[in-house]
Amino acid sequence: MAYSASRNSRRSDARPGIKVMAWCCVVAVPLLLPSIVSEYRLFQVGLIASTSLVAAGLVIVTGVAGQVSLAQAAFVALGAYGSTLLAQDLGISQWIGIPVSAVAAGAVGYVLGLLTLRMGGHYLALATMALTAIVQVVIVHWQSLTNGALGLAVMPLTIGGKPLTSGVALFYVVIPVTVAMFALAANLLDSRVGRAFAALRQSEIAASTLGINVLHYKALAFALSAVFGAVGGGLQALQTTYLDPQSFGIVESVLFIAIIVIGGFRSMAGAVLGSAVFTIIPTMLGAFQSYRGLAFALLLLGTIVLFPGGLAGLGSAGLAKGLSWFEGRRK
Amino acid sequence: MLAIQVLLSGITSGSIYAIVALGFVLIYKGTRVVHFGLGEQVTLGAYLVIIGQLYAGFPFYLAVAAAVALAGGFGFLVERCIMRPISYQPVLVQIIGTLAIGLAIREGLRAFMGPHGWPFEFLLSPAPVSVAGIFFAWSNVAIIAASLAVMAASFVFFTYSRLGQAVLAACENPVGAYLVGVPVRRVISWIWIMASVLAALAGILIAPIITLSPEMGLIGIKGFTAAVLGGFTSLPGAVAGGFLLGVIETATGTYTSSAMKDATTFVLLVLVIILRPHGLFGFAQFKKV
Repeated sequence: MAYSASRNSRRSDARPGIKVMAWCCVVAVPLLLPSIVSEYRLFQVGLIASTSLVAAGLVIVTGVAGQVSLAQAAFVALGAYGSTLLAQDLGISQWIGIPVSAVAAGAVGYVLGLLTLRMGGHYLALATMALTAIVQVVIVHWQSLTNGALGLAVMPLTIGGKPLTSGVALFYVVIPVTVAMFALAANLLDSRVGRAFAALRQSEIAASTLGINVLHYKALAFALSAVFGAVGGGLQALQTTYLDPQSFGIVESVLFIAIIVIGGFRSMAGAVLGSAVFTIIPTMLGAFQSYRGLAFALLLLGTIVLFPGGLAGLGSAGLAKGLSWFEGRRK
Repeated sequence: MLAIQVLLSGITSGSIYAIVALGFVLIYKGTRVVHFGLGEQVTLGAYLVIIGQLYAGFPFYLAVAAAVALAGGFGFLVERCIMRPISYQPVLVQIIGTLAIGLAIREGLRAFMGPHGWPFEFLLSPAPVSVAGIFFAWSNVAIIAASLAVMAASFVFFTYSRLGQAVLAACENPVGAYLVGVPVRRVISWIWIMASVLAALAGILIAPIITLSPEMGLIGIKGFTAAVLGGFTSLPGAVAGGFLLGVIETATGTYTSSAMKDATTFVLLVLVIILRPHGLFGFAQFKKV
């Protein structure tokens, strides 16, 4: 919630207490959580965090900048495979490998943005979809490098020679990175860059008449989405410890879109909410695991038809209503 | 000889891509929406046949007829319950809506019919027959013949029938069509029904050649590519794009490697979108300007 508050700066300025409280939660919860909940829950929280990084990238490019992207699974694959292969073949630790893959993915994203400059809407969706398909085909067929369709075991992250494999240890890696990147994104979206993205979404022509370099900002939005996707992918690989090329396809790209739509695709809080729903649904279904995809798909359909604002939209609308009711009572 | 063989096999798959592409173009022309879930509707059509055979005990051809009818009804419901309510939303929301439809079909089939593949009956015998040194199977001839029949029926429908003319008018200019008395909303319902029927037919034709599983919906991307090659707004262009894609794909698959076969489609899609967004034969664009 902190991010939606800081993005809507006018509202948060009016109630600085809320903002401070939210940030306290962001810092305190991760510190306290490991002593309260089970290892498995921590693992889940870690997964939610890394998924929400991927989703945050999509919020930037699709939610804020208005560019449909079905390339997110490809960027996740670049981060996951990039960092794993660097560790496996060149012995470069993921501490360096993930940032390096993220920068590489960012470069790919920037070029993608440049190439798709004149495309909008459907053609952009098709082109980004094709990119995901191409990356997946390369992964499956470049067997000497990626072990092809069989997938790849991920080497554990080490610190001082000790492998970090437990849920708690990875929790302390994943959560700080996620919080830091969310803070970065929240600040960026609250700046000149974020306003340029929003202008791009509303009208590229109007944005260019205001002196916004459409070419640069569009490419930048894709680059940022790629960086977030790749970091999320790299962290996810550490937690799942195995890479299956089938899990980096067009369907997964659609699932990431579903995550941000269900969460609310204009806000960073939406990325977290959607990822939480996505991760928690399977545990709620229990014995009906085969229905998880269907449940999520129907949730997406229901959201898009009934509440295009998503959960965060509902939440902030509810919050605003509650606050105004409260203030009305005080007067 | 090999060249003729490649051409024959390319035309077989190309004719199916052409049918899918027709569905895309119809919906796009009528509603300005690219239906990203149409590939899954292709899968659904084939699954409906299996369901009819397994659960209703229908013989194959009755199951096919029932599946086509049900697919049309499904298209009607999709338009009424999902696409119409969001038709005033931004393009982005509509794109996500169509993606959601595809996801729901795929995941529904996976949940109720399992993730594994299903065997599917051929229309005619798949045993290869040799004529003058060229091998072909009657099943492939049936596919080509059925596709050509579907295309011919579409052509006759759009050229001579009242509803077909109404569809074309509504696609060309919805407001103008409405003003001269075309019931545009009903026509859009018909467009979705027809596109869904086309998708189901494509699914029934292609299911015996490739494995019928929830993953078959990826055929959709072939349909997109065919439609993009043809310029996305022209019905004949979509058919030509389908045949062209089928031949190009089979040729690369034969002369290089099967890995290149799928990659070709995707690279072609990106290249055409970047270099010739109005399609290879897109003169309609210039006429309008």
